[in-house]
Amino acid sequence: MHDGSGLIAVQNLTKQFGPVTAVQNLSFTVSPGSVTGFLGPNGAGKTTTLRMLLGLVKPTGGTATINGRPFHQLGQPGRVVGAVLEAQGFHPARSARNHLRVYASAIGVPDAQADQVLGLVGLGSAADRKVGGFSLGMKQRLALATALLGDPQVLVLDEPANGLDPEGIAWLRTFLQSYARMGRTVLISSHLLAEVEQTVDQVVIISRGQTMFYGPLDQLRQSQQRRVLVQPSDINALANALRAAGVQMIEQLPDGRLAVSGVDSRQVADLALQAGVSIYGIQEEQIDLERLFFQLTSGQYAGYAPAQAPFKQQGGWA
Amino acid sequence: MGLMGNLVGAELRKTTTTGLWWGLLIPTAVLALGWGLATGLLGQFFVDFASSGDVDEVSDFLGVTPDQWKVSLFGMARAINISTIFPMIFGAMAISGEISRRTITTTFLTAPSRMHALLAKMLVYVLWGAIYGLAIMLFLGIGVVITSDSGQLPDAGGWAMLTLVCVLSSILMTMFGVGVGALVPNVAGAIVLLLIYFVVIENVVHGVLAYLQVPAVIGFLPNGSINGLTGSVAVDLFLSSAGVVPTEIEDVLRAIAGAAGAQDWWLSGIVFLGWAGVVFAGGWAVTQSKDIT
Ligand SMILES: Nc1ncnc2c1ncn2[C@@H]1O[C@H](COP(=O)(O)OP(=O)(O)OP(=O)(O)O)[C@@H](O)[C@H]1O
Ligand SMILES: [Mg+2]
Repeated sequence: MHDGSGLIAVQNLTKQFGPVTAVQNLSFTVSPGSVTGFLGPNGAGKTTTLRMLLGLVKPTGGTATINGRPFHQLGQPGRVVGAVLEAQGFHPARSARNHLRVYASAIGVPDAQADQVLGLVGLGSAADRKVGGFSLGMKQRLALATALLGDPQVLVLDEPANGLDPEGIAWLRTFLQSYARMGRTVLISSHLLAEVEQTVDQVVIISRGQTMFYGPLDQLRQSQQRRVLVQPSDINALANALRAAGVQMIEQLPDGRLAVSGVDSRQVADLALQAGVSIYGIQEEQIDLERLFFQLTSGQYAGYAPAQAPFKQQGGWA
Repeated sequence: MGLMGNLVGAELRKTTTTGLWWGLLIPTAVLALGWGLATGLLGQFFVDFASSGDVDEVSDFLGVTPDQWKVSLFGMARAINISTIFPMIFGAMAISGEISRRTITTTFLTAPSRMHALLAKMLVYVLWGAIYGLAIMLFLGIGVVITSDSGQLPDAGGWAMLTLVCVLSSILMTMFGVGVGALVPNVAGAIVLLLIYFVVIENVVHGVLAYLQVPAVIGFLPNGSINGLTGSVAVDLFLSSAGVVPTEIEDVLRAIAGAAGAQDWWLSGIVFLGWAGVVFAGGWAVTQSKDIT
């Protein structure tokens, strides 16, 4: 049986679909008590990795375990791990409640649990409607309700925010964070760092099936230096004063401002005062995680700007 | 309830929470009723013809007067063979439908293994096969009783025997369908394949085998064996109420019952169960190793 640790471990995972290498030698672990973001651009291999973890796709190499066991050795998987997957199906003629009751029976939880999770995801009033008539966001909520049926220790969600309205996204964010705070494991994929930035504590960033970054989000933030942007009355005087104080990384921006690295805005303002330079504006640069993400994952399926777009396909989806 | 009980419950709910079961049961019942009515009418026509004098020799062979011939048995055997195509289609949609609609993902996520999920499904479809079989017998019986003279109807034991093989036949056909649906994971593909095979291909093969004078082979083919299950019972029941019958006539009777070249009813059933097992094993192997993407 599994060890109940709530640990997800992916080791040297590889998947080859014919000539396509979807995932290549991927390794990472996800610990309980935190929300981990699994990020990568389209086609990076996120869905394939999650499906291998869930025993739906057979790896070409490597292992993926939950609680120290491959999926098919979990015994009652529905009670250990809940999953929302891309393009997960529903029978259009089945009502939301009946859909959940089918799987409540499979997992072995009472029918009352079906109504409880429906209420939790805000679908209580649509319980008896046929799923065929559901909107994308409603289906996504129902998928989440299905994942929660067995009150699992581990949640694996593939782009769960797809189709959710802002209110739904905000709800999901708080929900996942409190779920993790209960000591459970949450792994959530997205192709947008910004989408999960406020939700996740840890990130695994992949591109072309390989790991590009793996660690706490804060560490990713720190990997880019914070700059102070300042608009002084006398650029040269301030630059000299900064250099005299041992600040080396000073850059003049095209808009006439100075970008100073390695100091905070207070230090810059104090130095300016000592040098008798007025400051018309000062701000600390926001760290552009999205740009960082771009740099890490650039260009597997980069599009062309319309003007350059050639009419032949190069390295595209084909 | 154990793990398997949970999964069987889930599979049962899957079938009862959509309209497919009655959507297919209605045409099944209509077909069985229609065949039943037609069986009685045709039987009546035949008995009138046989009683008209010229065919006395046949009645001498059979040792009873034509109005006591249990001719309804043949029509009933045929009716069962035709009607059980519906439960077979119902079975064929069990796995192929889940794969097409992608609900198979959640099914596999909530089962200890794919084999558990497939076995639970098979058990539930065995139950549905029995329900379809009972419905077929009920409507067929109503039709036959309405249009037949009592002389042409089987006795109580005959009815019981027919009901048994009808239910068995329906269960086996459903199981065969489940296997094909796993092997051909596309609803339309699985159904078309089954229909073409059962309605066209094997009938052509039967003709060829009869022409080559090896009709016994027919009884070992899928359609030949499942027809043998019902057809052999019909012929046995007919003969049991007739006198001494020469072999040539018996062969003709078997052909009329749709059981040309067939083995005993129970052996026919076992042969077809073997086919259903082979197909299911193939479907299981395909499903077991399939990447669900
Ligand atoms: N069943 C399949 N057969 C062949 N290739 C596949 C299959 N599934 C995925 N792939 C390929 O594997 C690669 C990774 O796909 P995957 O769906 O895992 O990416 P993803 O990171 O989830 O992308 P997205 O953000 O678009 O969802 C892609 O090149 C894709 O074309
Ligand atoms: Mg994906």
